[in-house]
Amino acid sequence: MNSLRERAFLNRLDELRGTMPARPHDARAIAALAANPGCARRAVMDAAGVDKDRAARHVGFPAPFGQSQFAITRGNVFESLVKENGCAELLRLLRELLGLSVAQVGYRDVESVGSHLRHSHTRALIDRAAREDDGTAVFYDHPLFSLEIAGHTSYLEPDVVAFQIGGRFHIVEIKSFGMIDGQAEPDKVAAAARQAAVYVLALRTLMADLGHDPERVSHDVVLVCPENFANRPTAALVDVRKQLSVLGRQLTRMTRVEYLLEGLPDDLTFDLAPGEDGVPTRSADELTQALLQVPARYAPDCLSTCDMCMFCRHEARACGSTDLLGRQIRDQLGGVSGMHEALGLAEGTREAVEGQEEIARLLRLADRLREESLR
Amino acid sequence: MSALTALARLRAVRDGVAQRITTVRHCHISDQPLVLIPLKLAGEAAAPLAAMVGTDPGHPRLLVVPQPRNRDLRFAFAAGLAEVLLPYIEGFEKSTETVERRGGEPYERCLDAPQILVPNRSAASFTGLLGRSTRFRRAEGPYPVHPSVPLLGRWLTYFADRSQQPGSSVLLAATEALSLHWATGQSGLEDANLAALLGWIDPPPGMSGHRAAEEAEDPLLWPPAGPTTDPGFDNEVLAPAIRAYEEAPTDRAVDRVSQALRTQLDPTWRLMWRAVDLLRSLPEGSRVKDRWEIDRGSFTRFVERIAEGSPPQARRDGAVGAAARLAGLERARASYDVQRAHDDPLLMAEYRLTGEAFAGTVIAADPEHSEGEGRSRKLRPLITVRTGDPVRLTPGTVVGSPDRRGHAAEIVEAVDGEITLKITKGMGRGRTPAPGSVPEPGERVSYTSLIDDFQSSAALPGPEQTPWTHGGPPEEYEPGDDDAQEEWL
Amino acid sequence: MSDSLDALERRIAGLRAEVRRAVKAKENSLARSLRGELRRAEQAWDAAISSEAPTPAREPETSLLPIREQVHQALAMLGVPTSAKLIVAVNDAFFSRELRGSQLTSLRRDEERSFRGDPYARPYYLCAALTDRLSPARGLLADSTWPAESRVLGPLSPRVDFLTSTMRIAEHLARLAEPPAGAVRLLSRMAQNIPGAVEGFAPADPATAIRAARAELEVHRATDAAQRAEVAARATRQLPDAERLFGVTAMNTLRGAC
Repeated sequence: MNSLRERAFLNRLDELRGTMPARPHDARAIAALAANPGCARRAVMDAAGVDKDRAARHVGFPAPFGQSQFAITRGNVFESLVKENGCAELLRLLRELLGLSVAQVGYRDVESVGSHLRHSHTRALIDRAAREDDGTAVFYDHPLFSLEIAGHTSYLEPDVVAFQIGGRFHIVEIKSFGMIDGQAEPDKVAAAARQAAVYVLALRTLMADLGHDPERVSHDVVLVCPENFANRPTAALVDVRKQLSVLGRQLTRMTRVEYLLEGLPDDLTFDLAPGEDGVPTRSADELTQALLQVPARYAPDCLSTCDMCMFCRHEARACGSTDLLGRQIRDQLGGVSGMHEALGLAEGTREAVEGQEEIARLLRLADRLREESLR
Repeated sequence: MSALTALARLRAVRDGVAQRITTVRHCHISDQPLVLIPLKLAGEAAAPLAAMVGTDPGHPRLLVVPQPRNRDLRFAFAAGLAEVLLPYIEGFEKSTETVERRGGEPYERCLDAPQILVPNRSAASFTGLLGRSTRFRRAEGPYPVHPSVPLLGRWLTYFADRSQQPGSSVLLAATEALSLHWATGQSGLEDANLAALLGWIDPPPGMSGHRAAEEAEDPLLWPPAGPTTDPGFDNEVLAPAIRAYEEAPTDRAVDRVSQALRTQLDPTWRLMWRAVDLLRSLPEGSRVKDRWEIDRGSFTRFVERIAEGSPPQARRDGAVGAAARLAGLERARASYDVQRAHDDPLLMAEYRLTGEAFAGTVIAADPEHSEGEGRSRKLRPLITVRTGDPVRLTPGTVVGSPDRRGHAAEIVEAVDGEITLKITKGMGRGRTPAPGSVPEPGERVSYTSLIDDFQSSAALPGPEQTPWTHGGPPEEYEPGDDDAQEEWL
Repeated sequence: MSDSLDALERRIAGLRAEVRRAVKAKENSLARSLRGELRRAEQAWDAAISSEAPTPAREPETSLLPIREQVHQALAMLGVPTSAKLIVAVNDAFFSRELRGSQLTSLRRDEERSFRGDPYARPYYLCAALTDRLSPARGLLADSTWPAESRVLGPLSPRVDFLTSTMRIAEHLARLAEPPAGAVRLLSRMAQNIPGAVEGFAPADPATAIRAARAELEVHRATDAAQRAEVAARATRQLPDAERLFGVTAMNTLRGAC
């Protein structure tokens, strides 16, 4: 993109967002970008930094997400246990996992500077470690990375970055779900891997920026979890190469959001136009109409990943989309996207259009067999 | 997921109510099941918070852990659960039957077996975790627990492991059992919500399934069926109650926690028994009894294992054990699928759709037809069936018939919807076929290449012959002190 | 009694100020004799405070003094900057005292306020450990009477201090005829993170733990000492008294800039 076009594009995104500040993405949000890459509504809203949670609330479809304070407390307690005494527990794990020598114990808390300096301090420390390869520190606690997403800087806070003599960096991800007899819940490991991949990408971007080889950031992240039912931490290396390529692809797509914007009305905006008291002054109907201008690609998986899920599910239901029932069903229906259409084909009340002959035949047969068997 | 199920889901959306996808029930439902609804503390792997448990819909027992991070209270909870569960299990141990078997010693088998019903798959997994965290405990030594706790742990482990066996009914997840028989107008993911699923299957009068399911998604109206509780409930109700208990562990404080948790469990308790009634209302498939018999055998063997004083189940399977288990699961899955298709024309229809089965009318029969000469002469009746199904069976394929056990045939020719079959089994020993063993012209028949005669297990070595590539022979699992004293925080 | 305590505190404060002036003026022998007087005054203060403590039946939680004392005692035992969590654990394990982490949260701030209000009025302050940026290290408490090198941190210091406190705990345990079970558990947990200090999950043996901790300590000691000396020198050179004890926070820097 040339700079003029880029500026126009970024302006367009600002207009879409309107008067609200851009919502910064955390690692979880960035990881979620890769969850439903086919959805234009989500891609556009994310690129513009729209607060989807607020938007969904305003149109009357709040997302069913919430976190229990028990889970939050547990997470915090476990993280501080792993990090206490200069990361003593983590050091034991890394000695086992990465074969650190006894001399490698250094610890630096990036948060020792004011919060406004944390990002540049992280940069300086990583640069020094990479340049001198001196291993003064193994642990960089509370680092702050940044990642540029469609013109907006998101700040990311990995748990710990580990540096090894020999010049490799590892992202350490501390999670409080249990690893029981060597096994953790696959969903949770997958989510942790997606999140850690965002940190790997951010650190690699920083390394490249500083003129170092980005590949010195390992694609193996260190996942630290409580072992069995106790609090004692255990660790495993998780290869996030796949998550990295998915993420890389998705972030490149973000810049292609430009093409998604092309067909949209010029005056389209998702602005809530909050008044002085912060209460949106824009009518919910108007915002609903604006949202409907950008096509969504709803799938039941959205229910666990996207703030807009309830809105999009409602829309899918209202227009009788087979997306409502899940991809598997849609596949079984040979890609027929309307529920009425599919039923019509099955019951013979609707003629198959070109290309639908095969699926129509199958559905009619299925319908006959079902009727026959239930008789 | 077949086109038939997809169609049923579309109909469910249109008609506003779930559609049957079977004609019969394919799981066993006990006359006296035990319903167990466990809740856990959010953020913890296996910290029990509460359970509602019992066999009488009118009298559930509520067990709570007023401070889930307290180890003693957790074990007290486990002992309380044992108090309900163990007598229930023991009630089935006494009455047995003697089973004769060809070429082997006769053995004893319990006449009935316990059945535990939990709301969903997560509850089944959590049951396994509760078993894992209690079965290695000891009644003596450091950190002693009540003697019933390790026994409870072994049983919970047994039930959770066995529930992974396709076709087993000793531990059923209600959402899975219901989804096996009904298709709703929502996705499979949303079917994991018991209240929503039942909303589709049996909506309140005057309400559509869709509306009922939507209502069921509101945690204020329908608390989640667990094991994880609603975060809003945690933050607004449970946390203050637990804090009050911490500050003053009085009976009143315990009551407060109990009352709070009861509000979360009561609705699910009622849903569970509604699920039981709905499943009972379906006629039972003919092979359900056979599979329950296998469950009874499995239960009996575990009772014996415990009586013999065998150690608790290992933390992990050895290499051979794991391979055998996997092969066993695959076999059970295949056999279970075939059995259900044979029991249920609606499931058989899925195979008719793919051409692996067909149904039609007999248009010609030659019951006296034979092959070979003299002593090797064999009776091979021929029949021709006309069908509208898209048959994809080639000549020589061996087929069976769901309508006739012990009957087998071979495809001779399949042309233009007319299939000629040669009957090879099930005619009796005489020179002419036993009466009724050969279908007559005009009769409706169905045949399928799906036959439940799976090879016995792949030749796996015994555990003591485990090759070194797989770690060599495993040591017999001897739970040690570490197991017994393992922290449970 | 309180009157005499107040008088002693005033005297101690005065003596400290004189010591500083003497040091600045490089009057070494005067400084030394003043330090002697200071030490005696502090001892008198200690005696007075401990004779006074039992008389009023005060709620232990309502007074800052006992908590302060408890923390000080734990710090004295460990000899290195220590987190609130470990202080609580040590108190619990060795002295069976119910100290709660939440009681320690405002301690450092209270101490700093007291110091700024009336510098050196108390014989010791529970102060911060300083990072190499001379900012207060998160969550650590130190004793103001320790030499500067012990109150600052280089990159290796967290590990060195962890090893040191493990050794101190083990030494303390070894001296006890009947080591409390909680203390053995504490040592075992710490020893599990030191190579060769303990076998698996068995209870730690103090002598083994000390040997292993010392072995690893030898690897880091010289580098750590040099790095700490550099930070300590910088702190002494650049910082006024209060910041030398409580560190430079972003706020202070901003205030200074305005």
